[in-house]
Amino acid sequence: MALVVVQPVYAQADVARLEQIATLIRDNKIIQAEKDLSTVLRANPNQPIALNLLGTIRAKQNRLAEAETLFTKAVDQQPRYSGARMNLAFLYLQKREPAKAVVQLKEVLLLEPTNTEVMVVLGDAHLATGALEEAERQYLDALEGRLDNAGALLGLAQISRAKGEIKETTLYLTRVGTLITDSKSPEFLYKFASIALQVGMNDAAKAALENALKLRPNEPAYLLALGVAWLRKGDLFEAEKVFRHLIQLQPASEPAQVHLGYVLLNQKKYDEAQLWLEKSARSASPMPEVFYYLGLVAQEQNDDAKAIQLFEKAVQKLPNYAHARIALGSSYIKLRNYPRAKEELETAVKLDPEEPKAHYNLALLYARLKDTARAQEEMRLVEKLKAKGAGGDGVVVLPPNPNPR
Amino acid sequence: MRIVILVLLIVGGVTFEEVPPQTSKITWTHNNAQSADRQLPETVGAGCAFLDYDNDGWMDVYFVNSGPSDFFAPITPLKNALYRNNGNGTFTDVTDRAGVAGGKFGMGVAAADFDADGFVDLYVTNYGANILYRNNGNGTFTDVTDKAGVASPGWSTCATWFDFDNDGKLDLFVSSFVFYDKSQNPLCTDATLQRRYYCVPRLFKPTPSRLYRNTGNGTFADVSRESGIADHPGKSFGAVATDVNNDGLMDLFVANDTMPNFLFVNKGGGKFEEIGLGAGVAYGEAGRPRSGMGVDAADYDGDGWQDLFVANIDHEFFSLYHNDKELIFTDQPGEIAPSTHLLSGWGLKFFDYDNDGDPDLFLVNGHPDDMIESRIPRVRHREPLLLFENTGRGFKDVSANSGAVFGKIFSGRGMAVGDFDNDGDADVLTSNNGEPPLLLRNQGGNKNNWVGLSLVATKSNSAAVGAVITWQVGAVKRTRLRTGGGSYLSSHDPREILGAGAATKVDSIEIRWPSGATDRLTNVPLNKYIKVVEGAGQSR
Repeated sequence: MALVVVQPVYAQADVARLEQIATLIRDNKIIQAEKDLSTVLRANPNQPIALNLLGTIRAKQNRLAEAETLFTKAVDQQPRYSGARMNLAFLYLQKREPAKAVVQLKEVLLLEPTNTEVMVVLGDAHLATGALEEAERQYLDALEGRLDNAGALLGLAQISRAKGEIKETTLYLTRVGTLITDSKSPEFLYKFASIALQVGMNDAAKAALENALKLRPNEPAYLLALGVAWLRKGDLFEAEKVFRHLIQLQPASEPAQVHLGYVLLNQKKYDEAQLWLEKSARSASPMPEVFYYLGLVAQEQNDDAKAIQLFEKAVQKLPNYAHARIALGSSYIKLRNYPRAKEELETAVKLDPEEPKAHYNLALLYARLKDTARAQEEMRLVEKLKAKGAGGDGVVVLPPNPNPR
Repeated sequence: MRIVILVLLIVGGVTFEEVPPQTSKITWTHNNAQSADRQLPETVGAGCAFLDYDNDGWMDVYFVNSGPSDFFAPITPLKNALYRNNGNGTFTDVTDRAGVAGGKFGMGVAAADFDADGFVDLYVTNYGANILYRNNGNGTFTDVTDKAGVASPGWSTCATWFDFDNDGKLDLFVSSFVFYDKSQNPLCTDATLQRRYYCVPRLFKPTPSRLYRNTGNGTFADVSRESGIADHPGKSFGAVATDVNNDGLMDLFVANDTMPNFLFVNKGGGKFEEIGLGAGVAYGEAGRPRSGMGVDAADYDGDGWQDLFVANIDHEFFSLYHNDKELIFTDQPGEIAPSTHLLSGWGLKFFDYDNDGDPDLFLVNGHPDDMIESRIPRVRHREPLLLFENTGRGFKDVSANSGAVFGKIFSGRGMAVGDFDNDGDADVLTSNNGEPPLLLRNQGGNKNNWVGLSLVATKSNSAAVGAVITWQVGAVKRTRLRTGGGSYLSSHDPREILGAGAATKVDSIEIRWPSGATDRLTNVPLNKYIKVVEGAGQSR
């Protein structure tokens, strides 16, 4: 949550006192800041800056409803108080209510029509509502013809990504990458990395995340993303190191458990993979991937009956889960239940016709059924799809930016 | 306390110890002919063998070297090497006298008595024509390649002696790698290194392997086409002859590099059917072919069915294919997988290093690309050896406790197993690319009791490939099928060591010969080698 204090004009002494409180908040001296603010608000319960500052504290404490009330009250008291409106907008973005953020940001932009930061945030808010054109207009306005506004460029990258324009996305991200080498904003670095990971710019993502972690060591979301970046780079060992670090910090974190389980599974360290995945499966609402991976472990342990149960669970949670269907087919092949195998594999192909693993298992099935022609036909498809670079079932579950601003 | 220590010593781990060249007098070194052009044959050789060429009861050793080719002209002549075992831990170089120096760009060696005259012969594979050396029985050999008709031009790798038609004569399977000559070497470079590295075999065209039928008169007939072998061009390295469906006909499992592996099932009548895909041994996950190099076969879990092993390249994991019967296999590498994640495997063999009766597994590793360390993190060019002990259900990595040599790294390629000191436990010989070979003495394997068998066939093929040996120790009955070939470019001691563990008696031994004859031995002396003549039983 940003701390935007400036604007309403008050007596010099009051301003000085409130700025002192703002400094306390920046320095994370929350108890003292709260104490001082209660003194101010006791004297003047509608003091907008004090309300805004207290709202900031509540937002930091994740008491978002109270924060919203305080920011709203500040805005009500002083409608031209753009700092409070900005904080309200950030709060709405954090609460994933971008339309409400758009309203506040438009007001701010009326007050500060040349403020490029506001334009970028408004672009972000539009983007979050799916209004790509409006978002693009804000980002382009913020750029003012220059390619040095990382936030605006990152927004344009996201728009290109949303339009499926990978080349353009990569170009924008590459430019952003050059602008953020000395960035002091871990949140922005994380945001950049998250988008870079989506388009396979794994090295750039990794570099940004490493920088973000220098600025905010041990931030779980950054560690998780860094582990994913290593996974995407195919380095299971580095990924394992990062996920183990994350597990130390957050032993009960489901994403950490799933990712560590996944990376161990891919190293064929089945016993430990099973341990972490089972922990994750005990969470309130486990991800379907957890059951899929546990099923793969059971398959490797030659317990296909158990594997089938687990894959079925994954499919119950996510009926369109093509990889779980393929795994079901594979287990039925192992159990020599060829009709069921065929059924599952054909469903998988319908769900994901480009997945080579489905076609390979069909080839295996037809070979077992002595249908050489169809087996060969499926293998030709496998070759074709692999040449296109299709396939892969890696889990990538990135949490939202922990502190968007 | 003393008793406790003694007990610990007795049951203590078996180790493998290096026998240094100063002791063994084996001073030969492999020259890999490495050039700036990084011609692919430079990096895949070469093999080694244990064989008793002079029938003195001591295992001699043979090494294969590089030599002249279309891309390499050695400044000084390079030679393969035959070392005679002096029976006292030392060896003498007898290459020139024996006349087995090779003189071509050598790859592998397969030793067997193809003409059943009682003396082991040598088949040397090359990049270029191969050589069949017939043992004259007087310490010398004669090159009979042309007469025998087994030159197999092209690029041969592993050779496997076995009797595919059960006619009592040793036939020959020759693995063929890619179509290659120096003009076929594409430019594989790394912009950051500004140097060439060895190209991956994916870039080259496959070639069919060859099957030669032994006619019995010193010649062989090329039956590659009519047998069905030639219908399947591959990039073949290791091959092992085994009986995967227990029908008494020897099948062939062939590892291919960057292509699906082949499982040629012997259908009888001189025909083979390739069933790798349906059997589940052709591809890795998602239908991705792996880089198969070394292979072997054994019934590791004692269920009566031959399981298969393939060593692949780094990040592909090695495969342990459990035989689920009905020609279906499941890859169940267990603990072998994480141990081999970053390794590239070549020579390997299932053998009972601790004489407890079950087959363990020894792996020789090394990455083919000498510049790999600058390209892939954590993967090394020179890699460690690995030893896995059979736990009954799988394998446990015991390398760390099996001798200092497992802490070293080598550019490993070939690997042969044999008891060079005749002490009843299997020793190991490895050949390393561009490096001296490694002779490893098994220390402590013979703390368990054993019986050594020299099988002398009279009706069956001279190597007794396909013989089934069953031995009973108390309530435990164990069975071993005598396979042909296996490992990588190498050839093993033909004798069989049957582990008896701590038992003081082996109740019986039965040998079912490929001819169908059976010999049953009782009152077998422990801790000795005995000769078993087909149809005549035991001859001490």
